[in-house]
Amino acid sequence: MMIPFGHALAFAAALFILGLTCVLARRQIIMILIGVEIMLNAASLVFIAASAYWQQADGQVFVILLMAITAAEVAVALAMVVYLWRRKKTMIADQFNGMRG
Amino acid sequence: MSQTLLFLIPLLPLSCAVINMLFGMRLPRLIPETLAICGVLGAFLLTILFWGYAEGEGTRAVLGTWLSSGSVDVSFALCFDKLSAPMTLMVTGVATLIHFYAIGYMRDEVDYARFFSLLNLFVFAMLAIILADNLLILFLGWEGVGLCSYGLIGFWYRKRENAKAGTKAFLVTRVGDVFLGIALLWLFALTGTLSITEINAQAEMISPGIVTVLTLLLLVGACGKSAQLPLMTWLADAMAGPTPVSALIHAATMVTAGVYLLCRLFPLVSLSVFGMAAIAGVGAITALYAATCALAQREIKRVLAYSTMSQVGYMFMAVGAGTVSGAMFHLLTHAFFKAVLFMAAGWVIHLAGEENDIFRMGGLAKNGPKELFWIFLAAAVCLAGVPLTGGFFSKDGILLALFTEGTLLYKGYWLIGVFTALLTAFYTFRLVYLVFAGEPRGEGQPHAVPALMRWPLWPLAVLGLAGGLLNLPAMVGGGESLHQWYGKLAGRQVTASHDLEWLLIALATGIVAVGWLLAHLRYRSYREPLDNSVSRFLLAGWQADAVVDRLLVRPFAAMGRFCSAGCDRTLFDGTLEGLVKLSGRWSGLLLQLTTGRLTTYLSAFAWGFLIMLGWFLLKLVNGGGH
Amino acid sequence: MASLLFYILGFIMLTATLLCITRRNPVHAVIYLVVGFFALALMFYLLGAPLVAAWEVIVYAGAIMVLFLFIIMMLGLAPQELPEGPNWHRWGPLVLLSSSLMACTLLLIFQDPAATEIIGTYYLAPQELGEALFGRYALAVEVVSFQLLFASIGAYMLGRSLPKEDDES
Repeated sequence: MMIPFGHALAFAAALFILGLTCVLARRQIIMILIGVEIMLNAASLVFIAASAYWQQADGQVFVILLMAITAAEVAVALAMVVYLWRRKKTMIADQFNGMRG
Repeated sequence: MSQTLLFLIPLLPLSCAVINMLFGMRLPRLIPETLAICGVLGAFLLTILFWGYAEGEGTRAVLGTWLSSGSVDVSFALCFDKLSAPMTLMVTGVATLIHFYAIGYMRDEVDYARFFSLLNLFVFAMLAIILADNLLILFLGWEGVGLCSYGLIGFWYRKRENAKAGTKAFLVTRVGDVFLGIALLWLFALTGTLSITEINAQAEMISPGIVTVLTLLLLVGACGKSAQLPLMTWLADAMAGPTPVSALIHAATMVTAGVYLLCRLFPLVSLSVFGMAAIAGVGAITALYAATCALAQREIKRVLAYSTMSQVGYMFMAVGAGTVSGAMFHLLTHAFFKAVLFMAAGWVIHLAGEENDIFRMGGLAKNGPKELFWIFLAAAVCLAGVPLTGGFFSKDGILLALFTEGTLLYKGYWLIGVFTALLTAFYTFRLVYLVFAGEPRGEGQPHAVPALMRWPLWPLAVLGLAGGLLNLPAMVGGGESLHQWYGKLAGRQVTASHDLEWLLIALATGIVAVGWLLAHLRYRSYREPLDNSVSRFLLAGWQADAVVDRLLVRPFAAMGRFCSAGCDRTLFDGTLEGLVKLSGRWSGLLLQLTTGRLTTYLSAFAWGFLIMLGWFLLKLVNGGGH
Repeated sequence: MASLLFYILGFIMLTATLLCITRRNPVHAVIYLVVGFFALALMFYLLGAPLVAAWEVIVYAGAIMVLFLFIIMMLGLAPQELPEGPNWHRWGPLVLLSSSLMACTLLLIFQDPAATEIIGTYYLAPQELGEALFGRYALAVEVVSFQLLFASIGAYMLGRSLPKEDDES
């Protein structure tokens, strides 16, 4: 692998910002969750790249833990999506404004 | 170790009070009554048992530390010495007899548990004052006494005036308490200790000017509890309480607390010539004032209340003249005969069918029990100072001390004292004539009087009559035993030539005779009371209440109204309401930011993220890399 | 060769993700995302993480994304005409925000000298990864497993049929 470390980070940053844009721009809860998944994967890419750069196993271990945590998060988040859908029959995040001051 | 047992003396009444407070209402009547008696009787017997500890320098017992912070070290300590031991004995003894009397007096009272627990608590607080080794405990007792007297004066609180009398007593004595508190704190600041013994020992190191101020502060504090001018207005109204309370608090014990305080701190107080003159002056003026008021009173207990004030004035004069033993002597004899007078007054009121007005009594010598007449008369002659009674010797000792003090000012006090003695004899015999002579004038039906209300009077009456033996002057063959007993604590040794003493005794006898003669001429056969401006003025206690009302209460109420309407409602409330409205408006603006929309929050978060990143970048650019 | 492959994969990944986030239909979005994840998995492989690459495909692309698809289809979102999609009035400021963020991040990355250093050849055998995971990080594994347990309980609680009184609106 003859690429500079910075390029790998740049890819990760681009991926992260795409995910962030998705979270900010889309109003559907499912799409917001997908944006979160993209951002998490960007973080994984940074971990893997750093692991290769420093020749250490720790980064990869963290990615595996990250996957497990993501799985947990997705389970709860999708359960909530179902719950909210049952309550309001809508998926638009802005409709859930019960916390308005 | 057995010194610690001295704590049983105050703690016995306290524990009985607490038990009565907690469980009294649920127990059959006999048990709270027995407990109350046991509390004080036990304290009395223990005092006799531990009498030996008072010998010499006395005994100081420490139970443990109460407060310890930096240089402050206050322990639960009591001091059983030659000054406190006789006082303890008197208080517990008189209180025991009054408790017996109270059981008879309150036999129909429903709320007996409250009454007896307050009575016991009162005895505890009084013992705390007497036995306190440091001023903080003394102050604790001081306040406790005030609290209990508030509760007891207003015992029948359902009647509005009783509750008001209790409140008045509490508030007026509180004025004195504030001054006492200031004096205590100042003493602590000066000497770094609160122990009475150490303060007395260090008294000479305090500069004379400050000692004078301290003495005056203590005097005001003592005035509050002892109902001396100008804080005397509460005592006459305090007669709203049950008669045993009047006997216990307003005759025997609480009103003498001020005198006791001054005697306790006598080494300090006596350093200030001006302070001593002020003490004697307050005593003299109060004695005269109260005696004149007593001349015109119509209610039997109010007559006695004013006479109490007057007699306590004598004790103040004695302290001012420098003789602690004289003050304590009068205190003891006064406690005996005044308790008898109050309890007999309760009896009289019962016989007159709950009638308080002496002008509607009369004829009790013929119609009432002979026993009552003789007991009342015995106590009355003590009060009037008829020769050979206890009251005569103690009062005569005070007058002698005043006369021999030397300065012209004290000669003036002596004159006031002699004149007051004349008034005292007059109003005492007026009372006796009005109550006992002639025919019954009231319509009330006599109530039966239980035995418990009768026999406690006998020992006290005997003590009052024979009280002179406690401190018989050398001239009539006595050894001045009380003065000898006090030793170092006794104050000035009053020395006078025997001729002078005989002269003064003859004078005192003559004065009593004149007072009796005047009363005999005026009241031998019943006449309607005078109703002119002078008697009205005296009946109202020189309009003292009106003066206080005009000088203090009304300006205070006006100030309160001003603060309430002017400051509180417009200024503070207005400002606060303005602030509320302002912040309400601002928060309304902020409220619009909280849309409750997830996307709004998230984009705000992202913009913040951008700002943070930009800031990092700027820092790096400015800092030139790392 | 491997380097070139890396850049190609990165390009595929970014393109697929971009397409994913701009789709109106969530089903399409998920499919594009799966493509992106495949590319990402290969990038992991190139960076010397074969096991993580395999799990990326299995867990992410396989399990999690399928879960998304399942939920979308269960709720019947796909056939409906969705009330939103990209519109420039909404996306304009966001693109501005994203590009400035991107610019800032890139500047921050490349001002660091380490950014230009070459990542050396690295290969972590699955055995070593397993040793690290269950050796040094055993406690973390336990904690994460607890979290999975709690998440499954939570999902169960949320997924139960609603009581009547909660059903407002």
